[in-house]
Amino acid sequence: MNFTLKIWRQENAKAKGRFETYKVENISSDCSFLEMLDILNESLISNKIAHPVCFDNDCREGICGMCGLYINGRPHGNDDGVTTCQLHMRKFTDGETIWIEPWRAKAFPVIRDLVVDRTAYDKIIQAGGYVSVSTGGVPDANSILIAKDKADKAMDAAECIGCGACVAACKNASAMLFVSAKVSHLALLPQGKVEAANRVQKMVEKMDELGFGNCTNTYACEAECPKLIKRSNIARLNREWICARVGKEK
Amino acid sequence: MNLPKIASISRKIVVACVGLFLLVFLLVHMGINLCLLRPDDGAWYSAACNFMGTNYIIKVFEVVLFAALIAHIVITVALQIQNWKARPVRYHQPSKSKTSAMSKTMIWTGGLVFVFLALHFVNFYFVKMGWVEGKYMIQSEELITPELQKQYMELSQGLLNEEETIAFQTKMEAVNSIITKAEAENLYSEDLKWIYNLSAEDVKPLEKVVEGVEPDFYHMAYDLFANKIYSFIYLILFVALAFHLIHAMQSAFQTLGLNHNKYNKFIEGFSWVYAIVIALGFAIVPIYIMFFV
Amino acid sequence: MNTLDSKIPEGPLAQKWTNYKANQRLVNPANKRKLDVIVVGTGLAGASAAASLGAMGFNVDIFCISDSPRRAHSIAAQGGINAAKNYQNDGDSVGRLFYDTIKGGDYRAREANVYRLAEVSNNIIDQCVAQGVPFAREYSGLLDNRSFGGAQVSRTFYARGQTGQQLLLGAYGALSHQIARGTVKLHERHEMLDLVLVDGKARGIIARDLTTGEIKRFAAHAVVLATGGYGNIYFLSTNAMNSNGSAEWCCHKKGAYFANPCFVQIHPTCIPVHGDYQSKLTLMSESLRNDGRIWVPKKKEDVEALRKGTLKPTDIKEEDRDYYLERRYPAFGNLVPRDVASRAAKERCDAGFGVNNTGLAVFLDFSTAIQRLGRDVIEARYGNLFQMYEKITAVNPYETPMMIYPAIHYTMGGIWVDYELQTSIPGLFAAGEANFSDHGANRLGASALMQGLADGYFVLPYTLQNYLADEIYSGKVSANSPEFDKAEESVRQRIDALMTIKGSKTVDYFHKKLGLIMWDYVGMGRNAEGLQKGLALIKELEVEFWKDVQVTGTPDSMNPELEKAIRLADYFELAKLMAKDAYHRNESCGGHFREEYQTEDGETLRNDNDYMYVAAWEYQGHNQDEVLHKEPLVYQDIEIKQRNYK
Repeated sequence: MNFTLKIWRQENAKAKGRFETYKVENISSDCSFLEMLDILNESLISNKIAHPVCFDNDCREGICGMCGLYINGRPHGNDDGVTTCQLHMRKFTDGETIWIEPWRAKAFPVIRDLVVDRTAYDKIIQAGGYVSVSTGGVPDANSILIAKDKADKAMDAAECIGCGACVAACKNASAMLFVSAKVSHLALLPQGKVEAANRVQKMVEKMDELGFGNCTNTYACEAECPKLIKRSNIARLNREWICARVGKEK
Repeated sequence: MNLPKIASISRKIVVACVGLFLLVFLLVHMGINLCLLRPDDGAWYSAACNFMGTNYIIKVFEVVLFAALIAHIVITVALQIQNWKARPVRYHQPSKSKTSAMSKTMIWTGGLVFVFLALHFVNFYFVKMGWVEGKYMIQSEELITPELQKQYMELSQGLLNEEETIAFQTKMEAVNSIITKAEAENLYSEDLKWIYNLSAEDVKPLEKVVEGVEPDFYHMAYDLFANKIYSFIYLILFVALAFHLIHAMQSAFQTLGLNHNKYNKFIEGFSWVYAIVIALGFAIVPIYIMFFV
Repeated sequence: MNTLDSKIPEGPLAQKWTNYKANQRLVNPANKRKLDVIVVGTGLAGASAAASLGAMGFNVDIFCISDSPRRAHSIAAQGGINAAKNYQNDGDSVGRLFYDTIKGGDYRAREANVYRLAEVSNNIIDQCVAQGVPFAREYSGLLDNRSFGGAQVSRTFYARGQTGQQLLLGAYGALSHQIARGTVKLHERHEMLDLVLVDGKARGIIARDLTTGEIKRFAAHAVVLATGGYGNIYFLSTNAMNSNGSAEWCCHKKGAYFANPCFVQIHPTCIPVHGDYQSKLTLMSESLRNDGRIWVPKKKEDVEALRKGTLKPTDIKEEDRDYYLERRYPAFGNLVPRDVASRAAKERCDAGFGVNNTGLAVFLDFSTAIQRLGRDVIEARYGNLFQMYEKITAVNPYETPMMIYPAIHYTMGGIWVDYELQTSIPGLFAAGEANFSDHGANRLGASALMQGLADGYFVLPYTLQNYLADEIYSGKVSANSPEFDKAEESVRQRIDALMTIKGSKTVDYFHKKLGLIMWDYVGMGRNAEGLQKGLALIKELEVEFWKDVQVTGTPDSMNPELEKAIRLADYFELAKLMAKDAYHRNESCGGHFREEYQTEDGETLRNDNDYMYVAAWEYQGHNQDEVLHKEPLVYQDIEIKQRNYK
């Protein structure tokens, strides 16, 4: 297969970026999208055309959340429930022009080319996305009973890989799906319930502070989430928020 | 337009609550509009308008409604500006994510609805408040106020001096001419301007006279909808309203955290039905007037 | 000569850890605040260690190669984590977990460490549950368990197929908590490039900021290395792209002994290589072997037809299929341990019966199971795996047999550590996959997660404190010493050296070549001749690399090519050591299979008389022969047996 690639190139965070056009040829349809970019980079180096395109990637099996490209108008490209590294070239048509852009959000500034800074997510987690337990001195694991359906729901939310596709997809660059997944995961479990009110407030405040947009319930996040995290988590976040605020003392 | 220190979710919750209140209001409003369709020469419609214009509870709610509307607009616009700022560099490729068109265009459909509201206020509400000239329904018994009656009695008893007599006669002349003119047009309606066609000095006493004059919304509506361009714009704006409402209701539920696997489909369906019913309910009036009157 | 002191505490095996803890030195809270610790790596071991040390009150600096601690490759572990809870009442105990781990490791692990691992395994589960890890539950609300290879009990706790992810998110949460408290400082997108020794003690590191290319110095009273394994030396492995052995290697160069580098685990059920453009191999859970039957065609003409595509696997008649695992191991059949299954697949492919266009794959067939149990049952059990397979290969495994092939998965070898997880450099500790200690020559499934968390949560907080108790008088360590100057200078020189070659071939070109050499000669089946040849080829390639590699870009900006080049330069040296270690170990054990040393049936043949020791190698300089130190393995409480899965 042959493709024309339009790739966003940007030297560094401050530089002005632009789209560059590259061609790749004889790509196997079994090739993954990132492997196609590897091939492009090899040829850019070998033919001394340009510095290879920088893009984040790590596990290449869809779990680390490191990769993330905005491909032809969709985060992680034209397939559902996959990360960019799990996207294969057979999903494209031969001769297609592929536009590749970095995640775009104020809270995710571009570092270089297609690499963005997602530490905003870590800051949200640091604001309270955990159970404040230190090592040791905890009760026996089976002393906390958790109903299977609750545990399953918590697990559904906990599957979030923090890739940022929800922010990238959202027309408002809102991080609500990410925040709601973490809030839900912990609020559904008795261990997390204890600090739930405090947690949801701190995480939402941090999210606002970092410059993410607001959720307008468009659900592009849900449509593009590689782990199929549900919008019901956002509703749960809203509920948690209301309960926390209603019960809050001055 | 930043509203500092109010968390995004809190703002959204206000928008949602206010939105739901406006949804209920729309239903009431639609009910009144539908009265226009009754072949009772405006009896129900006028009664409803009269009730809405005079009832004290409604008057309180009128304030609430305006506050709600302003809050809804101010907060959503502020949120929208923030949302635009959250993505300073836009994507080159338009989004191909699977989302509903309604949810992505709320600010625009909302804007269209706002344009409509402005038009609407000019046509009806401002007239009611007397800020804008409009058509009035004149009821002769109300025009002949107790004061006029008293003066009439005093005149017949010869208690008025010359000056007072002239004043009374001027007023009565005006009243009579209104009544005559109005009677010629089936007891209804004449331009306020026509009444004020008198000199500025004479206007003052007349202002009191016309206090008992009710705006004639029934005929105003009919006149307006008879205008095809107006009706066409009106219909388009209600399509926009339908778009706005289809997303609005389910979105409000989501924002208030009311999301449940069992009921989501129902809420979604209900939003559609509600939005379409409201839009059709409003739209049927101009359609009827345009094509069947 | 034996200079290795493993510092195993006195007393009976079951009392050693208790005794150690009872006698270790402590640091009072006021002093803890004055002590700095550097942790490199944010996987299970690194994150849990940093979180625990931070909670105790030490000042911790943690370094992460990715943009977030949550990206560490621990996240990719699927199956589960072992613990001797005996919740299933099936006779499990600390002793049994200990025994299974030692036996699974083919008697090449250190007894005391493994016993401690089994002992603290239960605390790990308690800790993780308290953190909110959503382990699978039964309807009663109690924790569920599943069984795993190499054990006769159900002791594996799991969170769907993402146990590693959930455990890492738990540790990441604990770490984030400490970052919020200010006890831990996170340095993301930083790669450790050198260790700094002052007066023979580990006193800091030199790291490169991967965003800006800046070379930075960090000083501390102790350094913890938790940087995972070096499986990527094979280029194709189940490891993440950024996983690398450079942090270990720079410590090794500074004096930390490298133990058993040739012990590499090969996982039998991976999706096979499909082209030379491939960048990594994807693991399919081992659980597939519970219902899948592994086979290759019996006839060469069928193999040819399959490769040409004129024949479909479903066209091959039952009598023309060779279910080689069932044939060779009637008792365990398709469920033999990882190393056995991997070698058997390689044996068939080497004999020319491999399928796929490369000839490097075998079938994993579910048709019998689907007939027996119905498609629904198979879908419920393996639906997500089948889906993943179809996503990658575009082949529907319900209709056509899957193709699988072994792949490099885990490195049991690593930095040598004593009982306290301290390396041969005072003040340098190693945890998780980066150390060598607990898995011997072969790791059991669901034990890697257990070891990483045991080291981080429950071992290092004690042993590191014991070390730091002596450091309260040292005062703040300065990064402005000549030692730091020298280390920084050497890092800069190495980067400059790579940047100035400006050759004609890419880094990946060399890495792929090295990977192939390693796979062919230091891979699943090794022999003396091959290892010698491999070693020569590595040396040749290394010379070519230093002459002809092209590293584009500049050192003072984000530059993945430079990162890869630095790592590959270290891999060449490590590769030589691996070949040397494999060559010196004249026996077969666990993942190390020397073709000269096998039983009549082709099984591993250990030589306990001569090789029951840990081979710890001491660096002597570039291209100098490393010096071997032996740590004899003494088993007090265990009877040593030959593994037998027939």
